[in-house]
Amino acid sequence: MALVARTLRRSFLETRSILPPTFLLPFRANITTVAHSNETGNLTELPIQASQSIPIVKDIQENAIPISQTPKLPHPPRPTTQNKNAPPSPLTPSIRHLLPLLHTQPSHYLTIHLHGHPYLITKGDTVRLPFLMPNVKPGDVLRLDRATHIGSRDYTLKAPEAIKGTRDNVKKILYLDERLFVCRATVVGIESEPMRVMEKTKRRQRHVKHVYSKHKFTILKISEVEVRSLEEYEALLEPHER
Amino acid sequence: MAYFRITLMRSGIGMPLKVQGVLKALGLRKRMTTVYYPVTPDVAGQIMRIKELVDVKEVDRPLTKQQQREQRRPEKGYHVEKRGSEQTSNYEGL
Repeated sequence: MALVARTLRRSFLETRSILPPTFLLPFRANITTVAHSNETGNLTELPIQASQSIPIVKDIQENAIPISQTPKLPHPPRPTTQNKNAPPSPLTPSIRHLLPLLHTQPSHYLTIHLHGHPYLITKGDTVRLPFLMPNVKPGDVLRLDRATHIGSRDYTLKAPEAIKGTRDNVKKILYLDERLFVCRATVVGIESEPMRVMEKTKRRQRHVKHVYSKHKFTILKISEVEVRSLEEYEALLEPHER
Repeated sequence: MAYFRITLMRSGIGMPLKVQGVLKALGLRKRMTTVYYPVTPDVAGQIMRIKELVDVKEVDRPLTKQQQREQRRPEKGYHVEKRGSEQTSNYEGL
């Protein structure tokens, strides 16, 4: 009995010594996310305030913001007057606040989607696609216009969650506005894998059939990743809003 | 004109031959196949025989198989902005 108690105490002490108290543990979820959605009904301002010089790493969740914080914030200028029938402006207050901060940080990454599959890229990356892209040749410049994340070191602009498919509606991935960023890729070449041989056998037969296959893959080089500044984005939006 | 959208949710394996025959008649060969039929008493009767296996909804217009596939297809996500061959021809001109 005493032995058990001792081992228990030791194990307890060991865990104590290994792990610092929980409030000192690194909080991984902090690596920041500027969540935003296209809903204009959700007008909660994001709590990036005070000493904006140092971008504070904060996990920002729109719905989690207590309402008491919102009055402290300077109210952003509202987007130009909209008709109620018009589609909601993509320029949400959170974008208005935080796009300049995202824009000023150097080197961005994007999660682009090709045929519904995500690829995390930055400038200069070489992407070997898992398929042979039809009707392109080396040297062609592609414009990649579907992305779900734009990120820098401290900020991430996320697209709303994908809408799950039901019996009546198919799954819908919601992308970021394509005017927010410019992403270009150059087709560098076509790579092919070594020949694969698959041996097909039947039971109780000596004959072995060999099936050969050799796939080809397109290689892209990401030549340009640029996040538009707020002014450029507004200028692009303007003709559509009027 | 209204149509029934019939989707086979549960397989007909192990069902009586009459039920399997109804599935065959409706063209429901394997699970998750969807077929469209106009709303008529005979189709309604067929659905009644297999009502435990299928999901039925009344829709306005039938979709072909190609249209159903097209609905599910995700966006391409790229377009060719500039052809490489155009650039080389420019260089040749210089």
